[in-house]
Amino acid sequence: MKILVTCKRVPDTDQKIRVKEDGSGIDDSNLAYVLNPFDAIAVEEALQIREEHDAGEEIRIVAVGVGIAEYEAELRTALAMGADRAILVENSNTMDPWAVANTIAAIVARESPDLVLMGKQAVDDDANQTGQFLAALLQWPQATFASKIEFGGLALQVARETDQGIEEIEVPLPAVVTADLRLNEPRYASLPSILKARKKEIEIIPYAELQLDISPQLDLLSMKSEISQRRCVMLEDVNSLMEIIRP
Amino acid sequence: MSKSIQTSFDVIVIGAGVAGLSTAMQLAKRGQSVVVLEREQLGNGSTGRAAGLLGQLRGTAESTRMLMDGVEIVLDLEKQADVEIYVQTGSLRIAETPERAEEIADLVTMGKSIGFDIEHLTQAEVAAKLPYMKTDDLLDACYCPTDGHLQPAELVSAYIKVGRKHGVQYHTNCAVTNVIVTGGKATGVETVVGEFHAPLIVNAAGPWSYLVAGLTDTVLPTAAICHHYLTTRPDDSIKIDRFSPAVRNRHHRLYTRPESDGLIVGMYGEEATEYDMESLPSDFDMSAMKARLDDILVATLVYNAGQRFPWITERTSMTITTGIMTFTPDGKPFCGKLPDIEGLFYGSGFCGHGIVQSPTIGVIMADLILEGETSYDIDAIEADRYFDEPEFQTRVDIKAAAYEMHSGYYGNVEGRKQ
Repeated sequence: MKILVTCKRVPDTDQKIRVKEDGSGIDDSNLAYVLNPFDAIAVEEALQIREEHDAGEEIRIVAVGVGIAEYEAELRTALAMGADRAILVENSNTMDPWAVANTIAAIVARESPDLVLMGKQAVDDDANQTGQFLAALLQWPQATFASKIEFGGLALQVARETDQGIEEIEVPLPAVVTADLRLNEPRYASLPSILKARKKEIEIIPYAELQLDISPQLDLLSMKSEISQRRCVMLEDVNSLMEIIRP
Repeated sequence: MSKSIQTSFDVIVIGAGVAGLSTAMQLAKRGQSVVVLEREQLGNGSTGRAAGLLGQLRGTAESTRMLMDGVEIVLDLEKQADVEIYVQTGSLRIAETPERAEEIADLVTMGKSIGFDIEHLTQAEVAAKLPYMKTDDLLDACYCPTDGHLQPAELVSAYIKVGRKHGVQYHTNCAVTNVIVTGGKATGVETVVGEFHAPLIVNAAGPWSYLVAGLTDTVLPTAAICHHYLTTRPDDSIKIDRFSPAVRNRHHRLYTRPESDGLIVGMYGEEATEYDMESLPSDFDMSAMKARLDDILVATLVYNAGQRFPWITERTSMTITTGIMTFTPDGKPFCGKLPDIEGLFYGSGFCGHGIVQSPTIGVIMADLILEGETSYDIDAIEADRYFDEPEFQTRVDIKAAAYEMHSGYYGNVEGRKQ
């Protein structure tokens, strides 16, 4: 069995993020990048499925990234956590979720995985589209916002987080599943695993080699920072607080 | 700056970590008008990430005396501010090699000679105190029942509460951009919100202190070094009592203490990540620092923690706290003034021990600033001990020396040259 896990490189959003003055994007000077936290959850889930079910039947985990050469750092994170292989489709151009989904679909055609695990969204653009697009392109069943996955060989029992509550569904494999926050807590890579990952190779596929003809569905017009209207003042004592909060 | 803000004081303190807050409080208690200028939020730098372990028996009898006096100050602060700061868990040192066992024997002898409460423990006694720790390989251990830890957040709030009562003013988001020197004397500072004036200025800017010193072309030999510790989440199968003793395990380079039904385990490793503070964003927030999931130093920490606490693995539910410590070439802080500029004082470079040193350091700083002398023997921590020393003038040399000190911090066997 093979699990494909997608890995996006995103700015660490705990930092202070600034928008460029001309609104063309975010100012990336001094920014630290990390593996998209939801993708890290997807990697962790793949590892747990392998740890729990790899009795006799070998489960292979392949990490896939689509983007610039620097993506290697985040694919190394996935390898250090325990993924077996990594593939980088190298493309220096900005891609929208539709283009990324098409690219991953091309990799799925090459790799024939039984399951594609993805973060429900990336924390940089919060698009939350690639997983759904991919399932549609592959004509596979999808389970989005997974907060629990039970692996039953030919099908998965998935608990989905919805606005109405937890929805439990079954999806036959192959399928696309996107991970929500509560699915698990990603591990810090172990020392032996980090050392082992240094020897693992990352397969680089130039984007052009896939010969995809995808027109962008999204145009980024401009970005701007939300200006907070909140003001903080220091109050003298509890009574002055009472005066403010008392109706 | 709004006209209503007071801009002239007796003393300006740069930096609202424990060193600056303690110094400001002590100065105000002695009748000085004091303002603390903080680039970010109060207590949010190294202070906000600290574990706060209090091991009073350190190196010399004088440093032990400083730490013991610090406990008295803390007990008084607890009363005044109505918070619990000092958690007296006791502390253990453990040895699994003959060298470390000798180190412990020396420590017990030294402790007893100055009347400090310390005793050897057998393996069985250690196991009884710390059922969640591997003990079968221990050759010796010693126990100091009056040790424990200081809770950093509570200590900060007490310094501020008592400081405010004595008139200290605190300005946050108020980064100092220049130190004004007139005729060889410091007279004030420029900040992002305007000028403040005082004839006495204290540089307590922690990892940023060498940059603040640089504003007057002064070389302060400190370096910023990254540090991690893990905190395990409560787990019903591993019961960790709130009053379990802290442990120092120098062989594995670990320290540990209980925290909210979990365990804090930190490491002073052989390797570390260094920071050039000038290359960080001007609004850098240390609380947003985060270790990568594949950080090799975190992996080493978890690995070493597992050597002593076998239930800790990469699958253990835990958080990793990441911060920056300020190291010096000899592992001791810089307190006092330098010969170059009148009125400018330093209180920085606490090498990961700022929380527990801060109560007495505040007293020493106030002594030095107002009286020019102190009853403590401060030879080892005097600010001018490297002044104009040719081998501690460039950033490259200073960083190399501080890094070497950090590498040997837990690695070296005490009392012996490596």
